[in-house]
Amino acid sequence: MERLSMSILALDKEEVLKAVEEDLKAHRDPLDMIEEARRGLEKVGEDFEKGNFFLMELIRAAQIFKDAASLINPKIKEKYKESTTKGRVLIGTVSGDVHDLGKGIVASLLECAGFEVVDLGVDVPEQVFVEKIREHNPQVVGLSGLLTTSIPVMGNTVEAIEKAGLRDKVKVIAGGGVVGDIQPARIGVDHTSSNANEGLRVIEDWVKKRD
Amino acid sequence: MKETMTRYERLDTAWNLQEADRVPVAPINCYIIPYLAGLTIREMFFEPEKLIKATVECLDICGDEVDPNITTLDHTSLLGKSGWDQATLDWRISEHFPPKGNIPSFYEKTIIDDYNDVLERGFATILFSKKICKDVFRRSIDDFLYYEFEYPYIYAKAWRKFVEEYEVPLLMGGRACHPLDLLQYYRGINQLTEDIFERPEKVKAISEMLIEYEANRAMKQAMIMGAGEVPGADIIFFVNGGPPGMPPRIFNEFFWPYAKKAVDVFVNRGFRVRCHWDNDLTPHLETIKEITRGLPKGKILLDLEKTDMKKAKEVLGDRVCILGNVPSTLLVYGTPEEVEKYCKKLIENCAEGGGFVLSTECETPWDSKRENVRAIIDAAIKYGQY
Repeated sequence: MERLSMSILALDKEEVLKAVEEDLKAHRDPLDMIEEARRGLEKVGEDFEKGNFFLMELIRAAQIFKDAASLINPKIKEKYKESTTKGRVLIGTVSGDVHDLGKGIVASLLECAGFEVVDLGVDVPEQVFVEKIREHNPQVVGLSGLLTTSIPVMGNTVEAIEKAGLRDKVKVIAGGGVVGDIQPARIGVDHTSSNANEGLRVIEDWVKKRD
Repeated sequence: MKETMTRYERLDTAWNLQEADRVPVAPINCYIIPYLAGLTIREMFFEPEKLIKATVECLDICGDEVDPNITTLDHTSLLGKSGWDQATLDWRISEHFPPKGNIPSFYEKTIIDDYNDVLERGFATILFSKKICKDVFRRSIDDFLYYEFEYPYIYAKAWRKFVEEYEVPLLMGGRACHPLDLLQYYRGINQLTEDIFERPEKVKAISEMLIEYEANRAMKQAMIMGAGEVPGADIIFFVNGGPPGMPPRIFNEFFWPYAKKAVDVFVNRGFRVRCHWDNDLTPHLETIKEITRGLPKGKILLDLEKTDMKKAKEVLGDRVCILGNVPSTLLVYGTPEEVEKYCKKLIENCAEGGGFVLSTECETPWDSKRENVRAIIDAAIKYGQY
């Protein structure tokens, strides 16, 4: 690992920003830089799943990555005129649930990993998911919820997506505090998880397979 | 299977790390009771007689103690509240439970913009923040005076009568919140994480202020509820374990010192402390071991949510009583047989030698199946005999 990714792994914001500034001054390819930073974040994610890092450290690493990316991304646009994304994920907390945190962490990790994220917010009615799938044409839909009562609502949301004839166009993942305990088939989704990084990994696999 | 102890004696024995006649059992039933009894959420919070009547109708799922839902005092007073619920929950008081209505949910938005403002001008900057749900604060001065100075006594009197009539102790008399919990609601976890890494001294300064406020508020509540006279009213319910996923360095530096400080204050002033600490605290058990340092035995209960209970028993078993942790999903989506199996395992892992209370993880979800909650109590009777 190089300096930028190592500094992200060390959660050393100052060192990360210093490395970015120096690399930019040295005219390093910004795409190379963002990929290196991403490798650092991926390593944090891997270590988190192994239990070597804690959730708060994962959140911190994503924050630092975003700070670095805010300096690097304008240079990518300048050099390559357009930015590329790995894919598009539509994400929202289902109807009746106003919890934002878990969704926010996943959305943030997805953005850092190079996905375009359409965040519908919280307490999102089933029909809004349907309309927004039509509008944004995502590869993946993420349903978030903290409350046990959100679990059947996730099922209802999938049903609404199915009725609208959109189910086979998207993969659906459900996540939240207790959602990982629920079998995916029970609510008609493709995967359930209570672990943000595992969710990211699953989505990356799906999108890779589609390509 | 004859029971030879009263409920209070049974719990008291467990707190003192001894074996009672059987394992005490105490699901934390907050919203499920009014829901099952057909109360509205408004009635639950404003009409103690109705809540108590509902509790009587649900004694079959209450076990050895009942939750007097002390949050009522916080929700309905204006000043001098713990802050936790009122200032941070999406408190749209509703006539209905979900799906037609709602129960309080976390805002997860930044309420405190500036730590300095709070440090300089005090709690009013939080309590009167315009970002807090308007429904909570749209009260007349008469309402404020009533809910701050009269209602707590009416509420306490009703629960005292319940305890005398039904001989079921309360699970708490007052409630305090750990500063990091308050801060995760006032700042949001994302922002609090940044604060801890970038403004650690500010976080510590405000934590000092918050813990004083919380401790005093909780002890006042407990006194009104009858601490020393009403069984269980001397217990301070100390929530909530801090933000999820703290690494040990953060836990030891930002959570633990204030937790220990509050526990010491409560115990030294004659109260008992029930630490209701959510999340998985297994990585921090060695630190938590210090909780009893300098304190007499039998004063602390650790109520754990996702922590490995077997490990907790190993590390803490000779120091504090532990309580928990039948999963919420099992209560909502499982069967009585599955609940029984889980409880049996918990009892096998934790009950030996006393110092264990069988209970739910965090709180019994309002939409749990009644028979599943009952299965917890039946399991304590079936497998928990000493």
